[in-house]
Amino acid sequence: MRKGLHEDLAAVVIGLAAVLLALAVTWQARPAEEPGSRALHPKGWATPLAKTVGKPGTWSDQPLAAFQDGSGEWKLQPILLGMGWVGLVGGLGVVLGGRGLGAYLPGAAVLVMLACLAYLLAGQKTVKYYNLSYPLWALMVGLLVSNAAGVPRWLAPAVLGEFFIKTGLVVFGAEVLVGRLLALGLPGLMTSWIVTPIVLVTTYLLGVRLLRIPSKSLCMTLAADMSVCGVSAAIATAGACRAKKEELSLAIGLSLFFTVIMMVAMPPVISALGLDPLVGGAWLGGTIDATGAVVAAGETLGKEAGEVAATVKMIQNSMIGLIAFAVAAYWAGWVDREAAGPRGSLLGEIWQRFPRFILGFLAASLVCSWLHTRGPEQALWVEGATGGFTKPLRGWLFCTGFVCMGLQTNFRQLAPVLASGRPVVLYVLGQSLNLALTLAMASLTFGWLFRKAVE
Amino acid sequence: MRQSGSPARDVLRLAAGLAIVAIVWGGLLPRLLDWGPVARHIELMEARGVDPSAIYYTELERLPLRPAWVEDRLVLWP
Repeated sequence: MRKGLHEDLAAVVIGLAAVLLALAVTWQARPAEEPGSRALHPKGWATPLAKTVGKPGTWSDQPLAAFQDGSGEWKLQPILLGMGWVGLVGGLGVVLGGRGLGAYLPGAAVLVMLACLAYLLAGQKTVKYYNLSYPLWALMVGLLVSNAAGVPRWLAPAVLGEFFIKTGLVVFGAEVLVGRLLALGLPGLMTSWIVTPIVLVTTYLLGVRLLRIPSKSLCMTLAADMSVCGVSAAIATAGACRAKKEELSLAIGLSLFFTVIMMVAMPPVISALGLDPLVGGAWLGGTIDATGAVVAAGETLGKEAGEVAATVKMIQNSMIGLIAFAVAAYWAGWVDREAAGPRGSLLGEIWQRFPRFILGFLAASLVCSWLHTRGPEQALWVEGATGGFTKPLRGWLFCTGFVCMGLQTNFRQLAPVLASGRPVVLYVLGQSLNLALTLAMASLTFGWLFRKAVE
Repeated sequence: MRQSGSPARDVLRLAAGLAIVAIVWGGLLPRLLDWGPVARHIELMEARGVDPSAIYYTELERLPLRPAWVEDRLVLWP
């Protein structure tokens, strides 16, 4: 973006506009009958915007089934409209950035088709039910095109990977509801708030000091991915510490690989250890990176363990905003400041270097969190607006962003670090610490300290 | 970003890559669905309404709100 708005600011403007649009349209269509009833509206108020943003669904052996609904009817329109939203967001970004749309449009059409292909690959049942989610396949599609055929000149102007990710992150903020932190009271808070920051900071320091990985941003992205909640935390933290595309790709790849192993291996280990479902569920929720994989592993153990695991992971999910803010402030005030040499007051420099789109992400999160706590009607309003529109929209934006990252990724830059195997060692060390500390804390809080005596 | 090189060679390499994707997604992965451990895992997940590919809790089929039974077993806010 040469003239016009800075890319970060454009992402904030467009992202917040999408959130406001979702809230406004959902409010306009609010139900007349018992709008505060969760029994009547279990997923929040239905929003008309939901029909404008669909994605390919699940399929077994017939890929075309991904474009049909449960009754076999074609659902091409919402999918095409979903692709249209991505094209529109990118186009608005280009215009706000002061560039012409002419060069962007042909590439954008192909880019959204590649994102659709990534969703299609992620929708195959074997892949889907083993947690190999769309970011991995979006990266792979981008890598396949760039490595096999290169990126044609006409496609390059639409490859706005960072912009799509940043805008997706601002939109994503609407789903990060701070109130969810209290879902399991003090035991849940202690498991998340004590263990997660300790593991995050220790893993980062292990990478920088002990393993001497040259890139601090790689260490931070890996640490957040592993200690908080996988892909979504990696995206937010990578933005906060301005990690390279290759570093985010590596963190996500490593995380998904280990997540599949942990999802399959941990339930039998918990059964063998004879852990209580509450403790076992909390252990799963606090350690397995990806949210879906946590629930899958928990449900393998039983309903109770599955519910506790999912709730603990949701509490960790809700920490993303605070973690991203803390990392961005630390990076701006210490890491970048140290590298460039102090030039003014600490607060002034933090403000100057702070990534603006993180502020947009936090603004969306705080506004929706505040609305969500106002009452049952407002809670269902926010859940309907986010579930029906902002959630699938940010999915498309992330998916397209990852395709772009695959197109732009140059793994040669990371080759020396990768060859040393140090990122893998860092992940294993950090995850081992996470497993030990979370088990200790879950046993303390869920197994003893807050246990009711009646049992 | 690697720019396009020789058109014929690029098309050939892209076609080869797509062929591999088609073989894996069109043949190998669907066959895995019938393999015992995979089939059992998917059956359980479908029966419980779990989407293991969710990257955030809002993508789950059921929102993990506080389970009712937890308050009978734990002191949540002393």
